[in-house]
Amino acid sequence: MESQVKQIIARVLNVDLDLITDDLSSGDIPQWDSVGNLAIISTIEQELNIEFPLEDLFDLTSVKSIVDEVNQLADA
Amino acid sequence: MLNVAHSPLLQAITGHAAATPDKTALVAGDRRISYSQLVAAIEQAAAFLHSLGLKPGDHIILSAQKELEFVYLYFAAHQSGIINVVVDSAAPADRLAYIIDVVHPAVLFGDSTVADRVRCVPFSALATSHDMAAGLPAHSITPDAVADVMFTTGTTAAPKGVCLSHANIAASASNTNSFIGNGPDDVEALALPLSHSFGLGRLRCSLLAGATMVMVSNFANLKSLFSVMTAERVTGFGMVPAVWQYIKRLSGKRIGVFADQLRFIEIGSAALPVEDKRLLMELFPHTRLCMHYGLTEASRAMFSEFHTDAANLHTIGRPASAMVQAVVLDDSGHPVDDGMDGEICVKGNMVTRSYFLEKDNADAFYGDEWFRTGDWGHRDASGNFYLTGRRKELINVGGEKVSPATIEDAICSLGVSDCACVAVPDPNGVLGEVPKAFICRGGTTMGLDEIKQRLVQLLPNHEIPVLWEWIDSIPRTPSGKIQRLKLKS
Repeated sequence: MESQVKQIIARVLNVDLDLITDDLSSGDIPQWDSVGNLAIISTIEQELNIEFPLEDLFDLTSVKSIVDEVNQLADA
Repeated sequence: MLNVAHSPLLQAITGHAAATPDKTALVAGDRRISYSQLVAAIEQAAAFLHSLGLKPGDHIILSAQKELEFVYLYFAAHQSGIINVVVDSAAPADRLAYIIDVVHPAVLFGDSTVADRVRCVPFSALATSHDMAAGLPAHSITPDAVADVMFTTGTTAAPKGVCLSHANIAASASNTNSFIGNGPDDVEALALPLSHSFGLGRLRCSLLAGATMVMVSNFANLKSLFSVMTAERVTGFGMVPAVWQYIKRLSGKRIGVFADQLRFIEIGSAALPVEDKRLLMELFPHTRLCMHYGLTEASRAMFSEFHTDAANLHTIGRPASAMVQAVVLDDSGHPVDDGMDGEICVKGNMVTRSYFLEKDNADAFYGDEWFRTGDWGHRDASGNFYLTGRRKELINVGGEKVSPATIEDAICSLGVSDCACVAVPDPNGVLGEVPKAFICRGGTTMGLDEIKQRLVQLLPNHEIPVLWEWIDSIPRTPSGKIQRLKLKS
């Protein structure tokens, strides 16, 4: 799941996969702006068939936090 | 010593450095720069520009980044009479190539992949340059000389370069500050991009007022932004309507905790629904909620304030200051009666005198002074203005103005015989407008998904159409112009 999420983030932001490290956060690179962040959220929801709870979106600020949330939702 | 006679903004900054030398002007991450340090850094940057052989009248491209070095070079160019062309560091290659071809810059500052076309110097070269501030050459630049050229998207695929004088950009900042009422005690968070008129304008407003500007990369990480707002005791910020939708979606009403701290919020670049204005008023009962109407060519021409205009939230406001006038003119350039629609035209101390290319100046003004905004609307008997439509066809994606022609050219370059793009409301209700593409059936062997996938390589994310549809033929006028209204209906 982790590599899938990272691949989606890299594809949506149109950057190299190598750049998508665990501690990369929204705002760290110009491509990961608010439009990019929304695109990441909706693409992950669509392609992995999950739905992030609204109250969790505020805390999804890094690659790691997104991966952890996706894993948690997949296990639920 | 800086040369400041021609630049009201530099006069203000050096004035603050003399009166309050230790006052913090800029914060970027761990770096805090006082007004005296800012003036010294501008002086050193000016000497750096001189050492590169640049002279008054030269053009330089600043590939905008939220870095102190960008600010130093921006104002150093002003002091030296060198003309800034500020571009988005993520600008598509063809847009950057076009701008280079038009302005023939002497140097491009920033990371760039166009080193084969223009001399490129990274911002870091300034940080490592030695102290070279031993006397700057004098020049005879006047306040009416061009300080910045900002490229708009334009209604065609070719962007227009807007020439703004030293007097223009200072007047826009002064008009804005006088309406908003921000002053030297304010601490502002700047999360808007510096490559846009709005973000760059907020930087100028803050420094003109002698206030403190805290630079934040962007709005993507709201958790981080809110932490900065708490730690720095931020009293104001600017945002576009799409950012407000983003804040609402990702953080609910959390931002309301700053109600007693924020003195002002400036909003602009696109329309904001009335229900959102009401929500902001509810969350920020004591904050000045100022919404501007304007264009790069006539920055912050009008303002409304939600609490003041509570009974009339549909208005785009009134002229920003006594130095600005607005009228509604018919197709012949004659004033129409109040309540009648026509083209909104403005004049004032912040209005551009010309575009960079002479061909773009045709029809830009009625007479010598009324700048044609291209927007349709009317004025009521109280002097409030209202927008009723947009003559220009740009798609306003969360404040980013997207030319349909740019998207159409990119789609056709993939091997599609004909297509057309129009603005449609964002189905997610966040970005305001998004592009919708109509693809001529039989004009390609590709499917819509394949076209979209390949387009990602050519266009930035916000220019990729969100909605796609096949169409038998693109409706066109006899002269070949796309009839976009028919596609919207």
